[in-house]
Amino acid sequence: MRYIEWAVMFLVAGVGIALANFVGFQVNFMDSVPGILILLAISFVSVVISKLVPFKLPVIAYCSLIGLLVASPLCPAREFVIEAAGKINFTAPLTMVGAYAGISISDQLKEFAKQGWKMLLIAALVMIGTFTCSAIIAQIVLSLTHVI
Amino acid sequence: MKQQEFMYSGLGERLKKEWKIYLAALIFIIIADSIGQIKIPLGPGTLILFPIFYSIFLGILSGPQILKIFKKPEVKAASKLVIVCICPFIAKLGINAGASIETVISAGPALLLQEFGNLGTIFLSLPIALLLGLKREAVGACHSINRETNLALMQDVFGPDSPEARGSLSIYIIGGMVGTIFFGFMATVIASTGLFHPYSLGMASGVGAGIMMATATATLSEMFPAMADQIGALASASETISGIDGIYMALFVGIPLCNWLYGKLEPKLGPIHDKLAGKGKGEK
Repeated sequence: MRYIEWAVMFLVAGVGIALANFVGFQVNFMDSVPGILILLAISFVSVVISKLVPFKLPVIAYCSLIGLLVASPLCPAREFVIEAAGKINFTAPLTMVGAYAGISISDQLKEFAKQGWKMLLIAALVMIGTFTCSAIIAQIVLSLTHVI
Repeated sequence: MKQQEFMYSGLGERLKKEWKIYLAALIFIIIADSIGQIKIPLGPGTLILFPIFYSIFLGILSGPQILKIFKKPEVKAASKLVIVCICPFIAKLGINAGASIETVISAGPALLLQEFGNLGTIFLSLPIALLLGLKREAVGACHSINRETNLALMQDVFGPDSPEARGSLSIYIIGGMVGTIFFGFMATVIASTGLFHPYSLGMASGVGAGIMMATATATLSEMFPAMADQIGALASASETISGIDGIYMALFVGIPLCNWLYGKLEPKLGPIHDKLAGKGKGEK
């Protein structure tokens, strides 16, 4: 995608976030705007960096790192960033993700129906195993390092 | 993202071909967020339905196999748009992590080490897959949580027509259809055991699948509202690390471990399956 396409797609996403934040959480559009602009700016900068840097990392890794950076004590605008982003409800950006994701898997429905119970069971085990094993290790290390 | 040829000649063509998708997404948002959250107690856990589930459902409904509002090209276009929407969400999580930076730093060692937990699933799922009679498909299915990068990796390593890639694709499809809702529910069941601190659960949510992490985090935040910020911060940090190391973990540890375990277990568990299948009612 070209930068201009990314930029316009992000703006559409911003409209989606504002809409979800208003319909679901009664936050006015104007109150959502600063937070959304910050999120979109971080996203756009991440896209630019991921295209420029030869070392390939997923775009979302940059989004997360830059987000962390601008909200960390290193950033002079920290308070503003945290307050503005705080207006955006946690799940508000997700509804649009779901809409696109739903459309994008809609042609796999028949494939899904063809999967037998064995694969369903294994998929469940894979998810349970991944989550539980991470939780066990985290629990042990957090205890050992006296964080909890 | 990989460097690739442009799908469209320019912004104009993209908007002309995709405006229906944007419009549908906005309509889905109005419907989904009007319904809002629904909590359903289910066994030891709580099934919390978020607007994202309704919008996924509406998206699937509108596709070429049911309502046929969208056809194949739009399905393809939508899959490219997912990343656009997930970016601002991850940025939001990054900000949460920055706001709770002390928690993230103090949890540093745990954050790094729990990444290896993502491999733990192999010891649980592979033996059972073999008992169920799967062969090499099991290696693809069990080596990781099988999101996009893993799918590409399996096709690259074993070939697109290999049983390993087929196994990976199966889990990928199931994960896409029901993974989001299952992952959130599973998190509440495991949380309700009381064995784990909410911080551990938050970290465990970051498995390299943004949408699954999102529902697990949202669900856990509902269960532990007082620690919602820290849970989100740790989940986001863990997800970021998984996003970076996931492909290397799978390539250098996950796949070799699966191969090794397969070689050890298949000769033992394969015959057990055959015996059970022979005795029980016939399987396909």
